[in-house]
Amino acid sequence: MSVLPFAIRRSAATKPSRSPPPATLRVATSPQGGGIARVLQALALLFCVGHAAAEDIQSPLGLPPVPAMVAGTPAMRRLGEKLFFDRSLSANGTLSCAMCHIPAQGFASNQSALSIGMEGRSLRRNAPSLYNVAFKKFLFHDGRETDLAAQVWGPLLAADEMGNSGIGPLIARLRADVEYGPLFEASFPGEGATMMTLGRAIAAYEAALLRGGGRFDRAVYGGERAALTPQEWKGYELFIGKAGCAACHVLGPETALFTDQSWHNTGVAFRSGATGGKRLVQLAPGVLQNVDIAAIGLAQTGAPNDVGRFEITNAPTDRWAYTTPMLRGVSESSPYMHDGSLRTLAEVIEFYDGGGGANPSLDPKIRPLGLTPDEKAAIVVFLGAL
Amino acid sequence: MKSLPSRAVLCALLLGGAFAPAIADETCNSPFMSGLIKGQEQYLHVWTLGEKGVGDGSDKLVTIDVVPGSATYGKVIHTIAVGGRGEAHHMGFTDDRKYLWAGRLDDSKIFIFDVGSDPSTPKLVKTVDNLAESTGYVGPHTFYALPGRMLVQALSNKKDHGGVTGLITYNNAGELVTTTPMPLNDGGDGYGYDIAINPAQNRMLTSSFTGWTNYMMDLSQLIQDDSAMKNFGNTMVMWDLKAMKPLKVFSVPGAPLEIRWALKPGANWAITAGALTSKLYLIKQDDKNEWQAKAVADVGDPSKIPLPVDISISSDASSLWVNTFMDGTARLFDLSNPEAPKQVYAKKIGAQVNMVSQSWDGKRVYFTTSLLANWDKKNADNEQFLKGYSWDGKELREDFVVDFHKEGLGRAHHMKFTARAQKAEAP
Ligand code: HEC
Ligand code: HEC
Repeated sequence: MSVLPFAIRRSAATKPSRSPPPATLRVATSPQGGGIARVLQALALLFCVGHAAAEDIQSPLGLPPVPAMVAGTPAMRRLGEKLFFDRSLSANGTLSCAMCHIPAQGFASNQSALSIGMEGRSLRRNAPSLYNVAFKKFLFHDGRETDLAAQVWGPLLAADEMGNSGIGPLIARLRADVEYGPLFEASFPGEGATMMTLGRAIAAYEAALLRGGGRFDRAVYGGERAALTPQEWKGYELFIGKAGCAACHVLGPETALFTDQSWHNTGVAFRSGATGGKRLVQLAPGVLQNVDIAAIGLAQTGAPNDVGRFEITNAPTDRWAYTTPMLRGVSESSPYMHDGSLRTLAEVIEFYDGGGGANPSLDPKIRPLGLTPDEKAAIVVFLGAL
Repeated sequence: MKSLPSRAVLCALLLGGAFAPAIADETCNSPFMSGLIKGQEQYLHVWTLGEKGVGDGSDKLVTIDVVPGSATYGKVIHTIAVGGRGEAHHMGFTDDRKYLWAGRLDDSKIFIFDVGSDPSTPKLVKTVDNLAESTGYVGPHTFYALPGRMLVQALSNKKDHGGVTGLITYNNAGELVTTTPMPLNDGGDGYGYDIAINPAQNRMLTSSFTGWTNYMMDLSQLIQDDSAMKNFGNTMVMWDLKAMKPLKVFSVPGAPLEIRWALKPGANWAITAGALTSKLYLIKQDDKNEWQAKAVADVGDPSKIPLPVDISISSDASSLWVNTFMDGTARLFDLSNPEAPKQVYAKKIGAQVNMVSQSWDGKRVYFTTSLLANWDKKNADNEQFLKGYSWDGKELREDFVVDFHKEGLGRAHHMKFTARAQKAEAP
């Protein structure tokens, strides 16, 4: 059984040197044409995750250039892709990077609020989307890592994620492997598989997970007004205006990463801490049961406390603060927030409209918004166009 | 298709009378399995999950002597540690009952034990360790013998660890023959759990549970995670066995798990329990000979989510043991009218209880405790045992207990009986 999105991407990415630049990129820069061609272009753009096909990764419309340091070479990216999907990189062969960052689910996971790792152990947090991750300056929800190539060793070594007990044995195995040995040698002549090159290869693959050049970019950065519907335009206006979203999810004059490369306390963590006794549980479609969680002996979850950026800096102002996520492709990667506590984009908008989660360190930019139902709906459809 | 029991084999079985339609646990074995133990079972094999801090922490096959009067009656006489904790779960015999296949839901390994040569000391003869990579599926759950083949129902897939999955056919040597996806159209949700075959009707039923993410996750967390709770199966599928083609998808809300066909001749119905909705469902033909599934009874108080887990049907299909995990209770339902099962007896077995196996005559009933490593209760409530009882039609009387924690074994899960060959068919 082949993994479809993987297979498609693979065919696009495995013959990079001779294949022409991806159609989506050309379309993005010359948005002319009519009829069926236009529909096809629109479709292509809709699904435009600009996977590397040329020597250098060409950023689609609306994204800045990918730093050459991270982008690596096509050979590195191919190797990185293989590593990213390889379940045997985990201690018991059950988890690859792609089991938590699932391509068909925005390189995040729709399966659960919190990621589930080695032997089913619960992580504290929701797996973030990896779209455009090469541009993210502070990695993880608390921003504790700044180097994409170094980041990979986090999950590889964490006992509750991929659970490798050491670095040496994994590297030695890859060096000796009939497939990996030569691939590493070809990608990193003279170096082969090392702690560094493994990280660089995966980072190079991740750097190609670009999400841009879509309808939003054509409309806002390509001058093609009709690429967004009137309702989406309304959502856009609210996003950068009345709703104040762009104060943190920043849009630039030529490109938009939807992040200020910083962290904020929006009150999600503070809010999630307070759970009540009864809870509506969906036992089957349409079968909702109001369950007294404590009474049935299921109150104690394994999820430990989380105070966000504060854990890294010890600065009281950073309590319950999390990095501002980049919102591209966000409609694919529910549930939302660092703890996956909001199931839908509509719930996210309700959350912001209500002024976030009240707490002593709430970011002053988070305040009740007074949005009408129409306005909320418009922001939701706008987010869907990213 | 190579994977299927040929018409000839089926006919031979049916016409030759070699096949008594029988699935008891003894009543839950495949009807294609020979050597049904109608007399006294001698050994009980428990597929045991390794538990951190308990003994060597490794999954193991534990063998217990259950011959009354034997010097080692009710005692562990043999263990094989297979290494690691991979979420040991269910087992199934090959058609000749000489080999016992045991699966792990986490790392998807299948261990094949020789229990034919000397059932008191099973030997590991083969490990299938490429299931995920060779089939794309994950979590081998039910092992169901077909003539010369082993049909395996997986629970998940390696694309997203969700519940969309398939059936895998191996030959008895453990070589992959073919895969069959669970239906995704005509109401199918693609999920899988158990397999139960009615050869006389050429019908196979499958049920549906959930994917890796949910069955590996802490139960308390799961029940409070709306994004995860929507990923449970809500269907059963009726298949044409010989063609291995889905015929009809039934809506059976709330994770229908174990399936048992009535073994009484002429009774063409099957029963299952919806774990989350706490209901028994009957699968039976209506007046127009059309197969239907319908809810026929509640198990306990559904608002408390008692979690009906394993069930065991009597060989005459007159009664059904149903274990509810959360309250650790075994409940006996009278099935004399399968359209309206009635609970007639209940006994608390422990803080938690999952599996139940009864002897062919129903006089001995065995219980174990573990459901899934991260669904089992915590701390003092995490009792892990095998308990053997006698059933006189009125009362369960405890015969022996093996405390799996005291013995340094781990979490006790699936049970299978063996007996030395000659004793097997003796009534
Ligand atoms: C068990 C699930 C799991 C696995 C396996 C996993 N991740 Fe993650 N990943 C997460 C979670 C959860 C986070 C957020 C953790 C945090 O913020 O503390 C994360 C964060 C990240 C980030 C930071 C993204 C951002 O926006 O800041 C990157 C990059 C990443 N993972 C890449 C990888 C790579 C590469 C692998 C394989 C080597 C991998 N992950 C394996 C769950 C997983
Ligand atoms: C004060 C800065 C700030 C403002 C203003 C803000 N956000 Fe956010 N946003 C964040 C931060 C920080 C997070 C991550 C919070 C967490 O993980 O708990 C986030 C998370 C999100 C997410 C979830 C993304 C994911 O992948 O989980 C969405 C969607 C979102 N914001 C949309 C909006 C919209 C729409 C608005 C305007 C109504 C808005 N944000 C206003 C900072 C902000």
